[in-house]
Amino acid sequence: MRRIFTYIAASVLLLTSCDAWLDVKPYDKMSQDELLSDEEGFIKLLNGIYIELNSDMLYGGALSVEMIEIMGGAYVIGTDNAVWGNYSDLASYQYGTEYWRSRFNETWNKAYSLILNCNLLLENLETTGVAFTGQNYKVIKGEALALRAMLHFDMLRLFGPVFSRNADLPAIPYYKAYTIVPNAQMTAREAAEEITNDLLEARILLANDPVRTEGTRLDAPTDGSSTFMYYRNLRLNYYAVTALLARSSLYFGDSKAAYEYSTEVIKAAETVFPFVDRSLVTGSPADPDRIFSSEVIFALSHTQRNKLFKNYFDPSRIPNYVFRMDNDLMSSKVFGGGSLTGGNQDDYRYRVNWVATGANRYFYKYSDMVETGNIRNTMIPMLRLGEMYLIAAESRSEDIGAGLAYVNMLREKRGVGNLQQLDRQILQYEYIRELYGEGQLFYMYKRMFSPVLFSTIDSKNPQPSDAIFTVPLPDTETENR
Amino acid sequence: MMRRLLNILFFLIPLTLHAQEATVVLKGKVVDSADGYPLIGVAVYVDDSKTGTMTDVDGAYELRIPQRKCEVTFSYMGYDEEIRLYNTKNASSFSKIVMSMNAEQLADVVVTGVYERKKESFTGASATFKTDELKAVGSTNVLQSLKTLDPSFKMMESTQFGSNPNMMPDIEIRGKTSVAGLKEEYGTDPNQPLFILDGFETTLETIMNLNMNRVASVTILKDAASTAIYGSKASNGVVVIETKAPARGRLQLSYKGDFGLSLADLSDYNLMNAREKLEFESLAGVYKDHTGNPFAQIRLDNLYNERLKEIEKGVDTYWLSEPIRSGFTHKHNIYAEGGEDKIRYGIGLSYGDVAGVMKDSDRQTLEGNVDLIYRSGKFQFSNKLSINWLDVSNPVVSFAEYAYANPYYRKYNADGGIDRYLYYPEDGVDDYPVANPLWNAHLNNWDKESGFGFTNNFIFEWFLSEEFRLRAKFGLSKQDDSEQTRLSPLHTQFDDVGETEKGLYSHTQIDELSYEGDVAATFGKLIAKKHMINAVGGFNFSSLQRQVYGYSANGFTDDRFDAPSFANGYPSGGSPNYSQSLKRAASFYVNGGYVYDDRYLMDFNYRLDGASMFGTGNRFRNTWSVGTGWNVHKEPFMQNSDFFSLLKIRGSVGNPGNQNFSAYQAFSTYKFNGWMTNVFGTGVILNALGNTQLAWQETVNYDIGTDLTFWGERVNVTLDYYWKHTDPLLAVITTPGSMGVTSVAMNAGSQKTQGWETTFRISPIYRPREGINWNISFNATSSRSVYANIGDSFSALNESGKTSLAGTTRYYDGGSPTAIWAVRSAGIDPATGKELFIKKDGTYSFTYDVNDEVVVGDTQPKIEGLFGTMLYYKGLSVGCYFRYRWGGQVFNSSLFQKVENIGTQDVYNNQDKRALYDRWSENNREAYFKGISMVQKTEKSSRFVMDDNSVVGESFNLGYEFPDRVARRMGVGAMNLQLTMTDVFRVSTVRVERGIDYPFARSVTMSLGITF
Repeated sequence: MRRIFTYIAASVLLLTSCDAWLDVKPYDKMSQDELLSDEEGFIKLLNGIYIELNSDMLYGGALSVEMIEIMGGAYVIGTDNAVWGNYSDLASYQYGTEYWRSRFNETWNKAYSLILNCNLLLENLETTGVAFTGQNYKVIKGEALALRAMLHFDMLRLFGPVFSRNADLPAIPYYKAYTIVPNAQMTAREAAEEITNDLLEARILLANDPVRTEGTRLDAPTDGSSTFMYYRNLRLNYYAVTALLARSSLYFGDSKAAYEYSTEVIKAAETVFPFVDRSLVTGSPADPDRIFSSEVIFALSHTQRNKLFKNYFDPSRIPNYVFRMDNDLMSSKVFGGGSLTGGNQDDYRYRVNWVATGANRYFYKYSDMVETGNIRNTMIPMLRLGEMYLIAAESRSEDIGAGLAYVNMLREKRGVGNLQQLDRQILQYEYIRELYGEGQLFYMYKRMFSPVLFSTIDSKNPQPSDAIFTVPLPDTETENR
Repeated sequence: MMRRLLNILFFLIPLTLHAQEATVVLKGKVVDSADGYPLIGVAVYVDDSKTGTMTDVDGAYELRIPQRKCEVTFSYMGYDEEIRLYNTKNASSFSKIVMSMNAEQLADVVVTGVYERKKESFTGASATFKTDELKAVGSTNVLQSLKTLDPSFKMMESTQFGSNPNMMPDIEIRGKTSVAGLKEEYGTDPNQPLFILDGFETTLETIMNLNMNRVASVTILKDAASTAIYGSKASNGVVVIETKAPARGRLQLSYKGDFGLSLADLSDYNLMNAREKLEFESLAGVYKDHTGNPFAQIRLDNLYNERLKEIEKGVDTYWLSEPIRSGFTHKHNIYAEGGEDKIRYGIGLSYGDVAGVMKDSDRQTLEGNVDLIYRSGKFQFSNKLSINWLDVSNPVVSFAEYAYANPYYRKYNADGGIDRYLYYPEDGVDDYPVANPLWNAHLNNWDKESGFGFTNNFIFEWFLSEEFRLRAKFGLSKQDDSEQTRLSPLHTQFDDVGETEKGLYSHTQIDELSYEGDVAATFGKLIAKKHMINAVGGFNFSSLQRQVYGYSANGFTDDRFDAPSFANGYPSGGSPNYSQSLKRAASFYVNGGYVYDDRYLMDFNYRLDGASMFGTGNRFRNTWSVGTGWNVHKEPFMQNSDFFSLLKIRGSVGNPGNQNFSAYQAFSTYKFNGWMTNVFGTGVILNALGNTQLAWQETVNYDIGTDLTFWGERVNVTLDYYWKHTDPLLAVITTPGSMGVTSVAMNAGSQKTQGWETTFRISPIYRPREGINWNISFNATSSRSVYANIGDSFSALNESGKTSLAGTTRYYDGGSPTAIWAVRSAGIDPATGKELFIKKDGTYSFTYDVNDEVVVGDTQPKIEGLFGTMLYYKGLSVGCYFRYRWGGQVFNSSLFQKVENIGTQDVYNNQDKRALYDRWSENNREAYFKGISMVQKTEKSSRFVMDDNSVVGESFNLGYEFPDRVARRMGVGAMNLQLTMTDVFRVSTVRVERGIDYPFARSVTMSLGITF
């Protein structure tokens, strides 16, 4: 009998020791433990999220130049179905069609899948025993928090109610950790608070971001060593988070904060994000820096950004659809109309970005510069200095007119003269001039609850309503709860 | 009996006799009654004293015994105990002791693969079948025969794949325990039972390929008491297969051959002939132009007239006969065995060539095996090695394409050649071309699979003492399969593809390496002649590594040259496939049994399983079971009656688990976002989210049953009632998109199943001594499952089921997994031709509302099983078995999709005759089906739900065992011949197309067995 016990004891011993043997790691896939076993893994995961932002469901299309800009009335959309397909439904805000329901659904799912990636990164960052060099831990955590906030913010702006009117209506769920049970929908106000908190925490973590002392650091080493702390304008750096706070504060109705954050960025920009060099715009008319790259506070880097131009704006697409601004709107309001609108054809933004083919002018912001391989040819601007001036102008005081100085400072850098007065309409034109094709116009009209400036004829412009500004939550979100 | 079973060898205790007592030495030799070979290691002892010895390698023994009257016992595992009286004078009669094998005893043993128990003292629900029983009902493969013999073993008939010999069936023992969606998610069938071959876990495919002539016995373990020893793999039941061990003796050669013929069963097809089809098309408005263009109408009129002209010329093509053939199957098995008691060997070679009823549908297997058993004193070593080779080919054009082809087209053109299209629209006509199934079939396309592998199982046993035995096992198995498909550049699939990208070759390689080791100690002792104690404890570890990789190439230019070297390149955007999975498990198990006086039985099992698939937090899982039984026939009050030779009541409870899940279920894995890199280098994002909190599906099984044998062994009855409670269920659930993933594997709700099964066999004529036996058997099973506590977890599945074309499964609390949900129909309104629906509240309405769905049927029959009879007369046997099914319903998708709901595209396919007749029209107002229309959509209603009662002639057989003298005259030792017919007929209350992609087959097989 003693022998039996010996064998049993040996078996038990064997069993406990085989725990390690049972710990099988996948070979054909990267397991989380394996990936996040060093700093490099966290950096790769973070970079993976930045790369995925370039997806055409997000800022590589839908949320930069395509879906969101159509909703913002930026383009003339024809009615011929063979050419324009489903776009005419969207231009008339018919969110309920099968096609657009599925498009909004995929944008929603993609955004939240990246939020999940942020959360997994953040959770593992807390529990990992990995040693990080220098500021890396804080920067990684700060950027991941900012990414999470940014994605939630854009989902809130897209699917949430008009904040200024219905901040207490249910809006979106906010995910701060992975859970197997879905989070409940929050009101817009609650979500706003979460977004602000995440951004504030990110800002604190990024306090020692090299961008504050060394600028955007485009001089990355080419010897193969880590480029992680370089190209700060391609990451959610300290100023990008600050600028995002300026943008979100304004959206959430906190003018004071918006003014503070925007002016902070404006002050720092002198050295970090200088206005585009005049010579780059006027000196080489054939090859201008169309996105004013030095002013971009945060941009995505899309290796085939050229596709944005080719797929949506290139006049050689005709007879296929091409996105462009309404001719009258351009000539009499946005880039014409004198002091009443602030529009002027000397505007760099006109000279550089709008090129005539036949009777129409086409939008060239996303067309490549001659020098191939230049990082500028990959940039999709997400936050730019010009917007900070406009936010500062808008938030300086209850009276929009008080912001005139900021608008004029910006206009000076755009090669056009001072305005004598500022009102909401002119400010909106200024926003259009500065941010056209960057996916911000719809949110501006939604924020101001004003008509969408789609044409010069007021009756043609969609009137503000909750129906046009609030995209219904995707079916998969509401049905599977 | 029990002692004998475990009394394998004696642990020798030195002889110590009292000095004062006179002694004498007995000398002799122990031999086997069957072949006269010496038996080694036979225990020889006096009375119940501890003095004894064992026979040596020559079977010889020497035993010093007291010089007085005493009983000398000869005991050997598997043999009848021999007790001789020593009367002080008959020492010489001990010089030769003949022992014979106890056939009955071996037959009544339950082999669980881990331990063996006498059936009488086993508390679990199980069924054991010998090779003869299996062979008597069929010779296709072990599983096909099992389904005819045991009602709880179900092989799901596949309406889609029919009798395709290369399609692995879905198998269930006592019903399903898993929710839909898992097979799709994980690739493995979560309801599949565990297969054990010679004590080692194996795959369904291996069992399907196993030559039946190698099989000695098959045991199905059904309830918790019998399966719990397999722990977390056992909740779907266990099938234990033992192959034959070589018999001792001079070299003996045997040959077994099966020769079969299979014919396609197309009786379920009810397709239109040419004239009917044209009329149907005409009524459906195919030849009516809707654009108001007179030229278009002229074209359509011409088309109609052309086709009519062809029909008048006698064209009425029967396409179904084209891909069909008479499949000739032959299988051979040669086995040479022999050896003496110390070493036994067996060498076998099996070859099988199964030809399916569709052309190009073949399955060839070749298997060589070497079995060795070496026994020396207390040690036994045995090794089974088998090497297998497999070659498979599948038809490239599915049967469905022939069923679609219209009968008014000719197969061949005027020159006797095959055209690519049966109909090709003129330029500028907005019409679909109709491909000719013969075109793709006649090209050099192929779909092949070949495999090579080996299995080596080694077992070492150490008989430490009478009670105590140690066993170590190690099995290694390697299987490499390669699948290759080739589509000719002329295949119609490539019509719209650029010249340099036509044709496709793809190759997938599947490599598997598995090993399993096991160390166990077995203890068995009868104490004070009343208390029988058995115990087994052991440790088991296993590993399965699977690698799948492959690539595709395209750009072939010639039909004939098909080697991948002729490819032009790789499909654009294609990348090589590669996946690997590694599953490991380690377990510790104990089984204990206690029997008091052969009357009261107790069994318990415990197993601790650790598996790599389980998350780090849930790595180990406990499985337990308790079984109890009462042998009523052994009670003193029954002893006076010989009526019952077995009357056992048993019950068990336990919680075997299910491990048929993906290898990396618990892991979050990441992938490179390969579509782009940036100045920061590569990036990674989440690939799959692991769930470490997932609780594994657990099924608590209860079983009560009885085994009865009475009336001089003429009547055998087993009856089992069981209920299973699976809680929690594991299901893949669609989640709100904001969770970041669109679906997660989750625990949701539970499922309760209860059912009963019975087998009943009576022999009105039972004269075993004369070899005459006539028996009638009947078996039946019935079960019912319901969901509980699932709440709204499956609302997404329900919603998608509601909107799907033909989905009738819903998930609600209290609902059955097999229920058919649809809106009730009152039939077609004679006046309007519209379908009249019955709403939930009982009112009638012409408008269909999906929310009026109720349960209108259940695919699970109320009762199903088999009945049959078998007559043995001397060497002759005749038998037949019928499968019946009663009380279930079916949603007739043939009617739903091939009679109504024929869409604008489907109308060009040939259809069921009922699509033409039986339709509502002004002249036929009492019709069952709506009027002919292409645009009308028919919703799922109870009109398509039909009672599905059927009887199938599953197996008819005729066998003859040649008498010894006849066999000897023919120069062989023994010979038998058998004829088996399977699936001879099928009578059903519902007419539905079966065998969509591959037809069902009826087959007849002649088997021949010769021993030289």
